[in-house]
Formats: sequence, structure tokens, C-alpha cells
Amino acid sequence: MSSSAWVWSVSSLLFLSGMFCLVWRRQLLAMVLGLELLINAANLNFIYYSGVWKDAQGLAVALLVIAVAAAEVVVGFALVITLSARGRPAETDWLRDLEG
Amino acid sequence: MAFATPGLPLAAQVLFAAPLAALAIGFFYFHFRRPRDIHWLFLASCLAVTGASLRLLLEVLGGKVWDETIFRWLIIGGSSIEFGIRIDGLNAPILAMVATVSTLIHFYAVGYMRDDPGFSRFFLCFHFFFFSMVGLLVSHNYLQMYLFWEGVGLASFLLIGFWYDRPAARAAAWKAFLVNRIGDIGFLVAILVMMGWGGSVRFTELFAGLGLLDPGIVFLIAALLFWGACAKSAQFPLHVWLPDAMEGPTPVSALMHAATMVTAGVFLMARSWPILQYAPGLLSVLAVVGAFTAIGGAVLAGVQKDLKRILAYSTISHLGLMFLSLGVGSLFGAVFHLITHGFFKALLFLCAGSVIHGLGAHGTVTTDETGGLSISLPWTYAAFLVGALSLGGFPPLAGFFSKDAILHSLLVGGHAAGGPLGLLGSGLKAAGCLAAIASSYYIFRMLFLTFLGDRPQQTGRSAHAHEPGLWMQVPVFLLAALSAVGGVIGSAGLLEKVLSPLASAWGPMILVASSEVSAPFSWEVAGVGLAAAAAGLVAAWLATMAQSDWDWTWRMKHPGLERRVAGELGWQRLAARSAGLVSRAAAFVSWKWEDERWDVWTESLADCFTGLGEGLSGISRGILNEYLWWMLAGSVALTFMIVLCF
Repeated sequence: MSSSAWVWSVSSLLFLSGMFCLVWRRQLLAMVLGLELLINAANLNFIYYSGVWKDAQGLAVALLVIAVAAAEVVVGFALVITLSARGRPAETDWLRDLEG
Repeated sequence: MAFATPGLPLAAQVLFAAPLAALAIGFFYFHFRRPRDIHWLFLASCLAVTGASLRLLLEVLGGKVWDETIFRWLIIGGSSIEFGIRIDGLNAPILAMVATVSTLIHFYAVGYMRDDPGFSRFFLCFHFFFFSMVGLLVSHNYLQMYLFWEGVGLASFLLIGFWYDRPAARAAAWKAFLVNRIGDIGFLVAILVMMGWGGSVRFTELFAGLGLLDPGIVFLIAALLFWGACAKSAQFPLHVWLPDAMEGPTPVSALMHAATMVTAGVFLMARSWPILQYAPGLLSVLAVVGAFTAIGGAVLAGVQKDLKRILAYSTISHLGLMFLSLGVGSLFGAVFHLITHGFFKALLFLCAGSVIHGLGAHGTVTTDETGGLSISLPWTYAAFLVGALSLGGFPPLAGFFSKDAILHSLLVGGHAAGGPLGLLGSGLKAAGCLAAIASSYYIFRMLFLTFLGDRPQQTGRSAHAHEPGLWMQVPVFLLAALSAVGGVIGSAGLLEKVLSPLASAWGPMILVASSEVSAPFSWEVAGVGLAAAAAGLVAAWLATMAQSDWDWTWRMKHPGLERRVAGELGWQRLAARSAGLVSRAAAFVSWKWEDERWDVWTESLADCFTGLGEGLSGISRGILNEYLWWMLAGSVALTFMIVLCF
């Protein structure tokens, strides 16, 4: 297998597991982890093709994505902690205020 | 933009810049902070525009013509509508008259409206009118002219209804507005026809291509323009708004409803002169409508009791004379009379305003409250006498010369005198002479009933009237001077000099030889005019001085007659009724339509969306993972669509 096929396989695997995690799991904490997997699957491609095309833009975008992902994790954990502090379980089954 | 147009002289730019600047500063600063001082702004603007217009008139006398586009206003497909200025021999003298008279009446209004709580509102509207009128005169295309045409109509509405706490003023304002709207439809449709078939709304381009157009189209344009002019210039059958418009303050009546705005229709016809040449049948209609209006207005002016209504009907009559003059092919007579009429009618209205002011009346005064006022108001009397002599057509005052020009075109001009009009021509001649006699009659009747005599029916003698202050007297004297010597512009060849290059530029005219832009003096015509004036004066003397209470006795003897005459033999009522009928029919139709069609349709459409929303709300159960599933499905579908399409 060529190196690009490896990269594709790994990133696809990461993306699918992230998606699975996001869609099936009911715990907010797990959903945030799934989001991280999705982001990193995309990031892997950025870094790989930055090396293939000898273009630093991909690396720059990857750095930017890592920064944004860190911020997003902070927000996600803040939500989880706030919910726990109020004594509500951080699970989507209990968070149904937007029911139509 | 405006200030970057190299072809235009500074004076032409002042025409728009000064009033616009004054209106902006006046509205945003003075109106709120210093409303009692707002007039200085507008007086300065008026003086600037007057200076500029006189300067332009001098240049036009020197043979200059400007036709410059300032900017592109609308771009529709390949053609564009431009905003520009045209100054030529036709509008330069009218512009000079309008600016001069407006300035004097602005000064007069400062004195007249001084104690009114709406002082600054009055001046804002008044100056807005002035701005629109100047814009109307110097437009270089019909659409721009229409814009300002509506501007003066709006100002007219606002100022007739200025004292909005009076129901009569409100009603008069609406009447004027609605009747003018009826006429404006004609003007608007004319513009649409020009755009659709004429190729351009710009005067120069449209006139150049007239010969290639279908004659029917040209006739249609001319007829629609005439319809618009009829409403604005108070010609039968659309004159009904003007007498009621006297509910406005007197400076408004003087400036708008006598000297300037109502002559816009005559100006429109004069501007469209080349179009009228291709519609000779319409010229006869113009002449007949004008003649009928001239006589009707003059007769009605002779029986009114309200001072301002006498002058209003007189204005209708004189506008009719101008249309008559145009109809028999004399552009010169119409433009000349438009200018001198602006001077003497403004003067007469201002004098009537001084009488109203002097008697301490609010709004208007009838002949019951006047009489013998020459003792307490000697200066106003003197000025009114000058105006009356001028309107009556006594030499050597301005009105004599301009009326002489119209009579000349009627009596010895080729078109009416034994020309293509035949029997109709004889009728028009008689109408012109009758209108001249009646003019002299009603104005001297008004003079005698207002200023002279000692009649038991009148309270003027004991009313202790007082002369107005200098703000009002100085403009009156200046207008008196203009009414006295204003005839020189026509008789000394000034008007002829600016009009004749136009006639040659317009090319060969079907009806009108170039000599019709002047009226050579002839003793026969002058004799007819003078005889008519003298006959009117004598008749007025007999009816009001020799038998001093005749004006009251015939009303006592025939109470029904007075009512019928004042109602214009039922015409006013018919007009009001038919307007009411139309509006009620329209209301009924739209109500039925709304109730049974529109509402049903819109409500069922709304029901669709409500139902859709209610149905779809079931899938949003508030579970985050489900939403994510939907999102995922949507993304996949979108991706497939993109892949399949590209």
C-alpha cells in the first residue's frame, strides 16, 4: 500500500469512529471526544498533503485547527461541568428542552 | 455630479444649489432651533436665484442656449433618463419673472405670517415650492419636469391646507390634490407613450424625431399633455379646485395659485409647441377650451363676493386667455401674458392680503366687510389701482400690451382670422373681446366695492383698517412698478428676440410662421383693446357706483340665481358628485375583491405553511443525536448531489 493509501485509511477510520461516537453515544463527554476524532481525521490530511505538495499552508491550517479544537473542547467541557454542577446528568436523553 | 458639469455657468448651478442648501439648513437646524429666524435663509436663497436668473436671461439675450446633462438618473436597458438643465429663450424670461415675483412674495410673507405659530413650517413649504417651480422650468426632459410638477403639486397641497385646523382648508387641499392627480395621470401616460414609441423624453431628441413618428402617436402625446396642463392650469372642466384653493394663506394664493404654479400648464404647452404643431386639431381644442374658460371665469369673477375668489376666477379666466392664445398659434401672446399676468395678479392678491390683514380678518374677506377703504388704506388703494388698470388693459400698463398681443393674434393673426378655423375663428375673436370687457368689469367692480363708496350694506368704512408694515408694503410697491412697466419686455422686442431663435431651431412649423413669435403694434387692435377696457370700466361704474347697492339688490331679488351662479350652474356639484361616485365604486370593488378573493387566497396560503410547520414539528423531539443523524443524512445527500451534478 502506498503511503497516501495508508493516510487515507487511517483518517477515514478516525472519521468514521468519530462520527459513530458522535451519533450513537448519549454522553456529552463522549460526543466531545467524537468531535475531536473528526477534527483530527481532517487534520491528518492537511499535514500529509502539506508534505506532499511542499506547501506550508497545510501546516498552518493544521495549527489553526488544533487551536480551534482546543477552544472547542474547553467550551464542551465547560458545558459538561456546568450541567454536573447543577445536578443534571450530562446525557442527551435528559436534555430535551428544544422538543418541538 | 452637479458641480462638475463644465458646460453650465455658475448662475445655472445656483438655481438648484441655493434653494437646496437653504431647505436643508432650514429643515435640520432653523426649524427646530430658531424657527422665528428661518426667513433670512430663504430670502437669501431667493435673492441668489433671482440674481442668477437675471444673469441667465442676459446671456440668453446674447444668443446663448444651454442644454446640459448633469447626471444620469435612471438607466433602463440601453436608454437612460438624465437629469439636466435646459435654459433657452422660452424659459429664461419666465424664470426671471418667477424668481422676481417669488422673492417679493417671500418678503411679503414675512410680514403676513409673522404672528402665525407655523411660521417656519410655512416658509419651508413655500420655499420647497419655489425650488420645485424653478426645477420645473429648467428641466431638459419631460420626466424630470414631471418630478418637479409633482413637487409643486405637493407644495400646493401642503400650503392650501396650511391652517389644517379649519375643515374648509383641509377639504380644499384634498380637492386640489385629487383634481391635480387626475390631470397628472394624463401627463404620466404621455411620458410613458413617449418612452414607448417616441424614443426619448428629452425635449431636443423627442422633437427632432417627431416627423418620423406615427401621427396618431404624436396626437396622443399632445392630447395627454394637454389633459395634464388643464388640471394644473385650472382649465374647464378641471378648474374646480382653484377657487377653493383660496383657503390657503394669501401669499400662497398670490404666488402659487395666481402668478406661477398655475401657469405651469401654459408653460408645458409652450414647451411642447413642436408636438402641438403635429396635432393641429388639438390646437383648435386648446383654443375652444381656453375661450370657454376665459369667458366662464370672467363671468363668475363678476358675481363673487369673496375678494380672493374674485381673483381666483380672474386667474382662471386669464389662464384661459393664454390657452386661447396658444390655440390660435401665438406662442408670443401666451408667454407675454404669462409674465405680465404674474406681475399684476401677484400684486392684486397681495393688495387683497393687505386688506385682509388691515381689517384684522383671518383667512378671507367679502365685499360686505369692505367699502370705502381708500381712506384708511391709501397706499394699498394706489397699488391696487395700478394692478386693476394693468389687468383691465389700460395703456401704458403691462396688461395692455400682453392682452394686445393676444387680441392681435386673434383679430389679425393668420390662423384665426379667416384662416383654417372659419366660423370657429369668429367665435374665438368674439370670446377674446368679451373676456377683455369682462376682465375690466370685474376688477373695477372689485376696486369700487373694496375701496370706494359709502354703502349701508358694507362695514369697511367703520372698521378702522390699518396699513401693513414695510415688509408687506415694499414688495407691493415693487410689484406695482413691475405691473406698470412690465409691458416693455414684449413691446420693446425683448421677448421677440429670445423667442425667435427657438422658432427657427424648431424648424418649419406647420401652422405658425415665425412672425407669430411677435405681435406688431397696430392701432386697430389697440383701439379694440382700449374700447373693451373702457366698456368694462363704465359697466363696473354703473353697477357699483352710479347705483351703489345694485350688487346687493339683485341678490335679494333673486336668491336662487346667486346660489346657482356661485355653484357654477351646478358644475361644482356635478364634479363633486361624480368624484364621490367614482371613489365609492372603487371602494366597493376593492372591498368585494378583498373580502372574497384576496383574503381567501392569502389565508389559504398562510394555512399551508402553518400545516407544514405543524407536521414537521413532530420530527424535532429534542434529542441531540437525532438531529445529528439528520445532519449526517443531509451532508451525505448534499455530497451526492454535488458529485452527480459536477
